[in-house]
Amino acid sequence: MASHNNSLGYMVIEGGEGQLRGIALVTDARGVPADFRYTDLIRPKKLERILYGNSFDTYVKEELILESLLESMETDPQLWICSDKDILTPLRNASRTKTVLLGESTHAPLDAEGSIENTTEPRVFLIQTEANGAPLRAEFAEGARTDEVQQTASLLTENAKTMTLLEPFSRIQRLISALATGSD
Amino acid sequence: MALGDYLSRKAVKLTRRVEVYRLDAFITEPPEVHTVRKSVEVHALKPELSANVRKVDISRNLKCTVETIDLLKEPAEAKGFQVKKYTKQDIRIHGMPKRRKINIWKATKKAQSLPIELQNKLKQQKNRPAVSRNEMILAWYWPIVDGAVIKLALNKQRGTLLVWYDPRSRKYKARGVYLIRRLGAGEKPEWRWV
Repeated sequence: MASHNNSLGYMVIEGGEGQLRGIALVTDARGVPADFRYTDLIRPKKLERILYGNSFDTYVKEELILESLLESMETDPQLWICSDKDILTPLRNASRTKTVLLGESTHAPLDAEGSIENTTEPRVFLIQTEANGAPLRAEFAEGARTDEVQQTASLLTENAKTMTLLEPFSRIQRLISALATGSD
Repeated sequence: MALGDYLSRKAVKLTRRVEVYRLDAFITEPPEVHTVRKSVEVHALKPELSANVRKVDISRNLKCTVETIDLLKEPAEAKGFQVKKYTKQDIRIHGMPKRRKINIWKATKKAQSLPIELQNKLKQQKNRPAVSRNEMILAWYWPIVDGAVIKLALNKQRGTLLVWYDPRSRKYKARGVYLIRRLGAGEKPEWRWV
């Protein structure tokens, strides 16, 4: 049975056109928020624009947002889940925690719950987290070990019994909209 | 006293001569001393120009002279300054700017107040419960930790189920719920937990 120790962290960096915002949500195994933090929209300063040029987004994502958010979090999740490939490896390096890029797939269901299947893409696996429905597409960071893939699949499968794994991403968007408009 | 010293003293007393030993300096060659004063070499730009006159028309009484043209008659003055000793305070190192401090806002309470939105998973559900002839399954929502639920609400526009959990609850056992419609006038939909 899933327990409150199986916490999952969701990291999102949204925005564009030179302004970005970072959002981090840690939930328990039911999806109930245990820690939720977000940054202001970050725009480049003149000196930063000169120094970093085209790599400003990378600098903001990795050095400003990820490191600042991770330092501020009071709860360390068992696994960080992100939806942006750009931050997958930096998130793993900065958090020193298992990290996965999780998304839906259109693949036919695998044999059983917890099954893992390789794909043609490097470090990308299909994980059957629920008994029914399509498996999830899970991409791992550079340097991820085989046991890390196994542990991540086990954790996701366990948590899928008590929560919908991808649901927090849409909740984060609703939260940011609600906070931006100041609605309750 | 060492035997060498003893014999040496005896020799002085007997011969009234003093042995003098040469001690070579540790540094056999004197070190080169460089002044910090800058030496400036000045090279005057004085090209020697000459012109050879090969043909002169005397009939026009021309006077031909060959002169050296000095482009730079006086050498440019250069002053040397002794390099002064710098202290650490005189040197300023301008490094990369430190990481910008950004505002991070905490809104965990706000996040806990927002419901979890569950999609209708009826299409994926293979093992459906048996229903009577006047019943129809409309939706299947799963997983729901019913022991921790504070409130459930159906979003009729989106067909989703909104679930509010009690964050303090320690219940983690999940179940699913079917939404079943009863055919007939005045019949209300029924929630059936599995």
